[in-house]
Amino acid sequence: MSITRRSFNLGLAAGAASAGFATLSHAQQGRKVALLFDSLVSPFWVTGLDIMRDQVKKRGWTGLEAISNLDDNKQFEQVKAMIAQKVDGILIIQTDSKAVIPAIRAANAANIPMVHFNRPPAASDAYSVAIQADNRKIMQGTVQSLVEQAKKAGGKYKAALLIGDLGDVNAIQRRDGFFDVVNQNKDLIEVVARISTEWNADKAFAGLTNAIQANPDINFLVTSSDFLHPQIEQVLKTAGKWHKRGEEGHVTFGGFDGDEGAYARLKDGYLDACGVQNLFLEVDMAFQAFEDMWAGKKPDKLLLDPGFVITQDNLAEKQDQMWGFTVWKKQHA
Amino acid sequence: MTSVRLSSDEQRAGTPSSWLRLAAERLILSEYLVLLLTVVYFLAMLPIVPSIATPSVMLDIVNAMAPLLVVAIGQTFVLIVAGIDLSAPAILAMASVVGASVMTGDDGYLMNSPFAVPGGIAVFLVIGIAIGWLNGVCTARLGMPAFIVTLTTMMFFSGAAIWYTALHTDASSIGNLPPSFIAIGEGEIAGGFTFAILIAAAVALVAHFTLSRTVYGRWLYAVGTNPRAAEVSGVPVRSAAMWAFIIAGLCAGIASILYTGRLETGTPVLGQRILLDVIGAAVIGGVSLFGGKGKVMWTLFGVLFLAVIDKSLQLLGLALSSVFAIKGGVILMAAIIDALRHRLLVRR
Repeated sequence: MSITRRSFNLGLAAGAASAGFATLSHAQQGRKVALLFDSLVSPFWVTGLDIMRDQVKKRGWTGLEAISNLDDNKQFEQVKAMIAQKVDGILIIQTDSKAVIPAIRAANAANIPMVHFNRPPAASDAYSVAIQADNRKIMQGTVQSLVEQAKKAGGKYKAALLIGDLGDVNAIQRRDGFFDVVNQNKDLIEVVARISTEWNADKAFAGLTNAIQANPDINFLVTSSDFLHPQIEQVLKTAGKWHKRGEEGHVTFGGFDGDEGAYARLKDGYLDACGVQNLFLEVDMAFQAFEDMWAGKKPDKLLLDPGFVITQDNLAEKQDQMWGFTVWKKQHA
Repeated sequence: MTSVRLSSDEQRAGTPSSWLRLAAERLILSEYLVLLLTVVYFLAMLPIVPSIATPSVMLDIVNAMAPLLVVAIGQTFVLIVAGIDLSAPAILAMASVVGASVMTGDDGYLMNSPFAVPGGIAVFLVIGIAIGWLNGVCTARLGMPAFIVTLTTMMFFSGAAIWYTALHTDASSIGNLPPSFIAIGEGEIAGGFTFAILIAAAVALVAHFTLSRTVYGRWLYAVGTNPRAAEVSGVPVRSAAMWAFIIAGLCAGIASILYTGRLETGTPVLGQRILLDVIGAAVIGGVSLFGGKGKVMWTLFGVLFLAVIDKSLQLLGLALSSVFAIKGGVILMAAIIDALRHRLLVRR
């Protein structure tokens, strides 16, 4: 079959037109957003990414993903690459709150909105929006719930707190929320162990083991993150302190995050209360912040997720809002 | 399998297949092979991510290469003497936090002093040299294996960097660095070219000159090829090897300046995950892990190859699993071609 110059030109024009149409329809379909994570080391982030992917799809947007593997420099490169890809928005979970500032400046210079998910950046003249759980308030609510349960049960309590990495503002706020309530109930609770975990499961295990050896009468325990539950369970089992609510020797136990392990332990009666970060709401808030900025609005630099406290009493009512329940349901489907 | 000798015979016969084979052999044996692979990869990615060919992205690639190239050049010196330096990430981190603590506007030791930046830079370099010297003394003077020495210095100084940061600040990193220091990492000279590129180019030129034009460079190759023979020939083997580690430490100190300036932050986790890229870039470029073989230009090609792969994958915005699979596959392909090259060389 021979191709004439005319048929070649017609074909070329048709090809160009269809390519142009594809581009146009793509532009009309929706926005292109970058989802830049620093790692996917805990169920919180894995579930967060799943919710984001789902939301991106529902809104008709396109998502570009990158994970920096906890490397600040690589994440800066990823931001530059996304700017080169002319994305409409960058959602970022940075490793270091200060090292992310050059990336915010680069996004500002390219006029691309940037939203920090769950971790706000350090103060600077650069503009971006951060979505963060109201850690202090959620922890206050959680510990208050435990205190009320303790008052009902009667007796005196010796408490241990597993603290996160104090370089992380979330960890500091959770610690402060704990002491806000405990300091008002000194007649009921004495804090005998402050365990620095640095968000490291091994350190948490060793620290709690030491604390229980030094204070075998610890009967009130709060962790700053639910990802440490397996280590806590192991230590308490070894010490003969892993008992359900209502059983003799039960340790009043509070958690934070609301992962699938927390849901399972609440359901089984080992966990008394858990401060839940409303991951679904946080993703909505982040994407709404993009929409606001695209519409020319300037949202506040920090937007707070109020979260909620889930206990044995409101478990059935609140479990659908708990992201860990969604994960647990999938695992047990 | 057909031998090279047969190929020569065929070549004499002048058959087209013999010419093709000869061309393939020449290509594989060329020292520009990695550069060629980079060009081929770049061209292959062009239809998938056209933005990779835009001037701004190409400049980003060059800018991203600068600090990695400096560390990899230091590693090249150590690899040439048949050593290995695993402590590079710890040097980056330690120099970053101590240097930043000197200059920072948040209670820095030389805060608001005109000597803050020069003093801070001097600290970066001194820490690099000091850790390099420690590595050198333990390996070259005490005869300890470089792998163990640098592994333990990596562990020690990584921990020390975190401890030092905690001592200096309540936060996990040290920010508020002077603008003139930040300019070293990201400041532009002209047309998007940064000071970091200029510094990396200067380090590369000095290193190339040292390796190819000085007696010390020849000593390094001699030590790496056969230390016993080198000693008999009058080469100061221990001292030459020790200086290779000091140079590697100095290069890591310089790279730490570039990274810290770029991120505007001194952080104890700086470069914690780049060791594979540092050694990988040098080895992919053609520097031998067994010593005696290596050039700054080869390392440059290796760094360029990794930088282009990284940038293309970042532009694609794929899930992590795909990124690891593609990067691993491409590097494996480069390693297979390198192995083929060695086999051909041995046959000849």
